[in-house]
This record gives sequence, C-alpha cells and structure tokens, in this order.
Amino acid sequence: MGAQKNTGDWSSDMEIDAFRRLFPLRFYERHLTEAIRPDARPLKKCRDTSVAPGAVATADGSALAKIGSTTMLASIKMEVMTPSVDSPDEGNIAVEYYMPPICSPIVRPGRPAELAPVIAKQLSNTLLSSGMIDLKELSIISGKAAWMAYLDIYCLDADGALFDAALLSAVAAFSHLNIPAVSLNDEGKLTIVSEESNGEENVEKEPVNRDRRKLTISSIPLSLTCVLHKNYILADPTGEEESIMETSITTVLNTSDQLISLYKPGGPVLASTASIKECVSLTRQRIKELQDILSDSFASMDMN
Amino acid sequence: MTALSLGERLFIQGGIAQDLRADGRGRLDYRTLYVETGVIPQANGSARVRFGGTDVIASAKAEIGRPTLLQPDKGKVSTHVDCSSTAAPMFEGRGGEELSSELSIALQRCLLGGKSGAGAGIDLSSLIIVEGKVCWDLYIECLVVSSDGNLLDALGAAIKAALSNTGIPRVQVAADAASEEQPEVDISDEEFLQFDTSSVPVIVTLTKVGRHYIVDATPEEESQMSSAVSVSVNRKGHICGLTKRGGAGLDPSVILDMISVAKHVSEQLLTKLDSEISAAESREEDK
Amino acid sequence: MAGKPNDAPATYSPSLKNKKHPFYKNSDLDWVRPDGRGFHQCRPAFFRTGAVNAASGSAYAELGNTKVIVSVFGPRESKKAMMYSDIGRLNCNVSYTTFATSVRGQGSDHKEFSSMLHKALEGAIRLETFPKTTVDIFALVLESGGSDFPVLISCASLALADAGIMLHDLVAAVAVSSLGSNLVIDPVSEEESYQDGSLLITCMPSRYEVTQLTITGEWSTSRINEAMELCLDACTKLGKVMRSCLKEAASTTTD
Repeated sequence: MGAQKNTGDWSSDMEIDAFRRLFPLRFYERHLTEAIRPDARPLKKCRDTSVAPGAVATADGSALAKIGSTTMLASIKMEVMTPSVDSPDEGNIAVEYYMPPICSPIVRPGRPAELAPVIAKQLSNTLLSSGMIDLKELSIISGKAAWMAYLDIYCLDADGALFDAALLSAVAAFSHLNIPAVSLNDEGKLTIVSEESNGEENVEKEPVNRDRRKLTISSIPLSLTCVLHKNYILADPTGEEESIMETSITTVLNTSDQLISLYKPGGPVLASTASIKECVSLTRQRIKELQDILSDSFASMDMN
Repeated sequence: MTALSLGERLFIQGGIAQDLRADGRGRLDYRTLYVETGVIPQANGSARVRFGGTDVIASAKAEIGRPTLLQPDKGKVSTHVDCSSTAAPMFEGRGGEELSSELSIALQRCLLGGKSGAGAGIDLSSLIIVEGKVCWDLYIECLVVSSDGNLLDALGAAIKAALSNTGIPRVQVAADAASEEQPEVDISDEEFLQFDTSSVPVIVTLTKVGRHYIVDATPEEESQMSSAVSVSVNRKGHICGLTKRGGAGLDPSVILDMISVAKHVSEQLLTKLDSEISAAESREEDK
Repeated sequence: MAGKPNDAPATYSPSLKNKKHPFYKNSDLDWVRPDGRGFHQCRPAFFRTGAVNAASGSAYAELGNTKVIVSVFGPRESKKAMMYSDIGRLNCNVSYTTFATSVRGQGSDHKEFSSMLHKALEGAIRLETFPKTTVDIFALVLESGGSDFPVLISCASLALADAGIMLHDLVAAVAVSSLGSNLVIDPVSEEESYQDGSLLITCMPSRYEVTQLTITGEWSTSRINEAMELCLDACTKLGKVMRSCLKEAASTTTD
C-alpha cells in the first residue's frame, strides 16, 4: 500500500484486519486508488466460476453453480397439470428461490431474508420473458395435460452476486433437463414409461409423449452484477463489497446480444449513461466466458 | 427451573446415595399412584393419573378416517400433549411448546413401535374397518394439569388407563358399496368394542443422579440429574421404545444396566397400575 | 405469472406404472439389500469441512444418496429476550429441500430433528467456554436417502469442530434397523419404510460415551445388546473417518 504521510490518519498504526472492520469504506477506497481489490482481483475481473450439471439425483434436471464462494443449487421437477383455458397448448414454469439459514449469518430460521423474494421475482421475470424456453414445448396433450416445471433454487453459500449465480444455475439446470416419457393409463392419468419395459409397453398403449427428450434452448439469458462507487465500477462483487458500496447494476443479456433486463435498485450513486454502457459491455464479455464454462461443463459431463 | 442452594443440592445427592430420598422414599420407590377413569364424558375414553403432585389427564377420541396409501390395512393414532400454563409458570405463553412436542414424540416412540407397525403397543390393524377405505383415527390428547416431576411416566400411565377405558363403537358397513366408492358406514351408539390394552407398555424413567438411578424423580431431583433414560416395557418384558434425555454422555454398559433395572421396576409398576385401573373402573361403575 | 402458489394449477407427479416389488418379505431370511450391501456393512462415508464460506464453520456429508450440509454460526450475541446465562446456548434448526425426496414436497422445517440434534450434541460441547452467547447450528438436507438423522449429527459435529467450538470429542451417529430376524446397519430409505424397529446411537468414540440413544419398536434385551454393539463398532470406524477429514483440512490450510 502506498505510504501515506497523513498525520490525522491513525490507520497506519492499526492492524489491517481491525482497520478493515472499523473503516470498511476507507479500506476499500485505498484499494480502489490502486485499482486492485482486497481479494487481489482487478476491478473488472470476475471470480472463478464453475458449473456442475446433474447434481441432484432425484430431479429431472439440476445443476450446481459456483461464482467465487457463492453457491447455488438448482433443481427442476416435472409435474403434470391441466393447462389454463387461455393457453391450452402451453406448459408453465414455476420458480422458487430459497435462502435457507445455512447460507448466510443474516438469515435466521423463521425469519427469511428480505432479499429472497426480490431475487425470486427477478428470476422468474427473466426466465419467462427471455423466451429461452418455448412453453409450447411443455405441452403433452393440447387442452388436457401439460408439464409444469418446478424450478427450485437453493442458495447454499451467499457471498455476493446472488442473482448472477442463481440465473446461471437455472440456465444450466434447464440445459440438463430431460423430460420423462409418459403414457396415458386407464384412469386418464399420465404415468412414466419406465426405461426397461419401454418396448412392450409402447405396443399396447398409445405413447403420448414420445421418448425422453431435451428442451430446445434458444438464446440463453445470462447476467453480470456490477457495483458502482464514485467513478469506479467493480464487476462481480463479493458480499462484503455489496454491503459497503450500496449501488449495484444487474444487466441481463442473452446470447444473441439482446438486452433482457437492466436493474438498478436505487443506491447513493447515480449512474451516468457512460457507466451503464460500460456495465453492458462488461456483461457482454462476461457472457462469452459463461457460455464457455457452460459448454465445457456439459462436454465433460457427457464424457463421463 | 428449580433454583437450589448448595446445601439443598448436597442434601438431595447425599440422600440418593444413601437410598433415602428427601420425601422418605427409596431409590426405586414410586410416589402414591392415583387413577381415575372416565373423567371426560364426551371422549371415547379418558383417565386422570396422579403421581404425587404430578397430575395429568389423557383422553382418547376415535373418528372415522381413511388409511394411508402406504399402510392400507392399518388405522392411525396420533398423540398430542398440552402443557397447561397452570401447571408451571414456565409453561406460560409459548414456553411449554418445546416440552410438549418432546413429550408427544417420546410417547409416540414408546406406543407406536416401528414403521411397519411391529411391536406397537396399540394394535393398529384392529382399527381398520374396510381395508384401504375406512379406518379409525385415534386421537390421544393429554393435558398436564400440574407438573411435579416425572411427566413422561405419568402420561404413559394415563394413556394406558384411558385406553382401557375406551370403547370403540361397533360399525356396520353397507355391503353393497361399489368397489370404487367410499363405502357408507353406520356407527352404532349402543354397542362398543372394548379396546385391548394388554400390550400397551408402561414407561419407566430412570434418572441418574451421581452414580445411582432413581425412579419417579421430583423436580428438585430432576434438576440434579446428569442424564435420564425413559424405557417403555410391555408385559412380555420386551423393550418397546427408549429415549435418552439430558446432555451428558453415558457409558454403554451403564445404559444396559439401566435397561435391566427399568425392566425390573416396570413389572411392579404394571401390576400396581393394573390393579389401580380396575379399582378405578369398578368405582366408576358404582357411581 | 408463474411462481405464485395461489394461482398455480393443481399438479401431480406422474408415477411409475408398474409398482416396484418390495425387496423384502417377512418370510425371507435371506434377501439382498437394495444397494447390494452386506447386512452389517455401512455405506462409504464422505465428509468435507468448509463447505460454506459465509459460516464460521461448516461441513458437507454424503453417504450414498443422503446428502446434507451443516453450517455453524457464532458464538454470537443471544437474542435480546434471552436471560443471562453463564453457559452458552445452542440453537438448532433442520430443514429439507423441496427436492430431498422423490416426490416434490414442501421444503419444511423438522422440529423433531431440531430438538433431537440439540440433545445429541449438547453433551459433547463445552458450553462453559462461550457464556452469554449462542451458537447456531443450521442443517439442510439436500437429498434424503435414508439414515438422514445420524448423518446430520455426524456432519454437525464436524461443522462445530470446523468453527473452532470447543468439543469434548466428535459425535458419530449410526442407526440400525430391525427387519424381520435381521439387523441391518445404516438403512436406506426403502429399508426404513419397512422396518419393524430402529435403534439410533450417537456417541463420542474416543470417550466411549453415548450422548443419545433412541429405540423404537419391540426389542428383547439381547437384541438391544447386539444392535448396540454393532452401532458402537460402526461409530468408532465413522469417528476415524471424521477425524481424518479434519486432519486433512488442517494440513491443507497450514501448507
């Protein structure tokens, strides 16, 4: 750190950890002037990111996503519903986002985190408006039966950029999703065609839903959260950074480079057009990285 | 919580070590047992049991229900314990909730046996009316009126007394009901089937104070315990459930020793309880 | 909009058409466990500490399909309403994810497990080392594959050690199910649903002390003896696995 000869500043006498706790903002500002962050990242670098598809054995589709130490576990369970009258040949997606008490010291049992419903709403808006999934593909019998995809995302470890990690895990879970093959039984309910008896069953019963299949995933929505402080832009903030510098911008773009949503929930810093542009271009770079990570993870899964 | 001075504590511990407790009992002696049956007229069966100052009421109510898919040939039993705030000041508000749920879990464990129903004190298959369709749901509700130590044993005894007082109405099933539908049932209000309680176990809680175990501990003695083991034993001498309470660890051989002591004590308790129950029932008939 | 439970349509999970045959019948003396293990053979245990960075200490455990995470927070300030206490408090909470079981349930709190976890651990923790404060132990069952509770306890004691909470010893827990005339150790969910009785021991292996013991179902004394011996033996082995996990974590951080 630069040698500061400021006489009124007694920070030089203090241990770094104590200084960090007592004057978090000054601690960060010192780093920012050196264009480095306490975890040794440059301002615009994101943390290590990994995706592990198929983490939940009981689910139809699942994935574990990690950005730094922020960890999200997403699981999709397919259930059958009667489609609504308005859209008889469409299925639906229900998104739930949970922050169990294990993930953060702020969350206590019986007192859910304030952040959880906000992120849940953002997630379900993003997934449904992005057009990533054609809801018509979730139809089974028009007007009679359709798939309801229950997407449950659990935050296992919260350390900033929660939305980014949750969205990444959701996207990966949908890519991993296998829709089970079903047939209609005598009572008018659908049953799963078990794999071993596949051949004979299909002969005597009308198979309603072909084979196990994957969804066609068109342009994928992915996001990056940046924190604004004075004129600095910090990409992919940690939990500490988010709590100290309160202004954040979350940009969601899809892989065809279209803007899906831009979210700036207040905060003391007013974002200029230039900084918003900067955030969008950072997101663009980040999405390329994330796409590589996603395709790598699925490639390595297929190998196994 | 009972706050005791050092002198009081030493007195209790010393008494237990010398086999002469503060109220004159030996280590394995119970307080006076008092049973009264049929205390709640609107229930199918009920009983009130007192162990010294501990006073509990248990009632059994049977309702028509549907058996679960997993066990179509069995009825259902649920137990619930309510700690009245009149019993102890600490039960006020939500204070009794934790103890209530702890007691009802312990009772369930002692009475209902394993998941398959084997070894259950209450024979669940006797509660079935039509397999897969209709069964009795037996609701066992307990109320702690006054708490003066050894609640679990008192509750176990009260349930046993309440069940032996329980008559389940005879049921006529409409024979022509189609197989798909829920059959119609006709509940008789005159004929009752006596509940078989011979296999309902009793619960014996052994409280370990120092190196000795005592039964039927008072709150003062309970506050000195290092750990306690509640064992439920049926007439065959088989263990039907066991719960360890209290934090401190126990050597496995000590636990086995406690189980054998509990078995021995349970024989006496069963005999005593049975005679008290039949005395109470004859009193009730005389009325 | 989806995601709101009130206007979501009723759904059902399409079940398998042909029901699975029960793997076990009462008359059989010789049968094969669903995962092909021997009757007295435990599933291989995997433990890792430091699973959750945000917590003071944490651990992840995986035995077969049973996967749990436990986080420990604190010692931190007790709730305002709590009275002064010269020993520390424990606060336990156990919850399940919605996808823990094969039918999507509600990720619910398990009050029963929470209080049992408290009792299994309190004997092993040196509560007098953190007066006036509370240690929170939060557990999440990611997937339930049988013997959830024993796995939770072992995992929680590792998380406590990882958080630097003073312990007398690690707590290892193992359950035994009684199925017909056989005793099977470390049962999976399928076996648990058929069991005639179960016996759970949580113990401190190095001190050879039992902190919690629960028995359900009808048992003769000799059978209890046999089951306890099985459990204690398995606890000792499990304790070694847990210990080596801690040692490994300690050696990697000092490097």
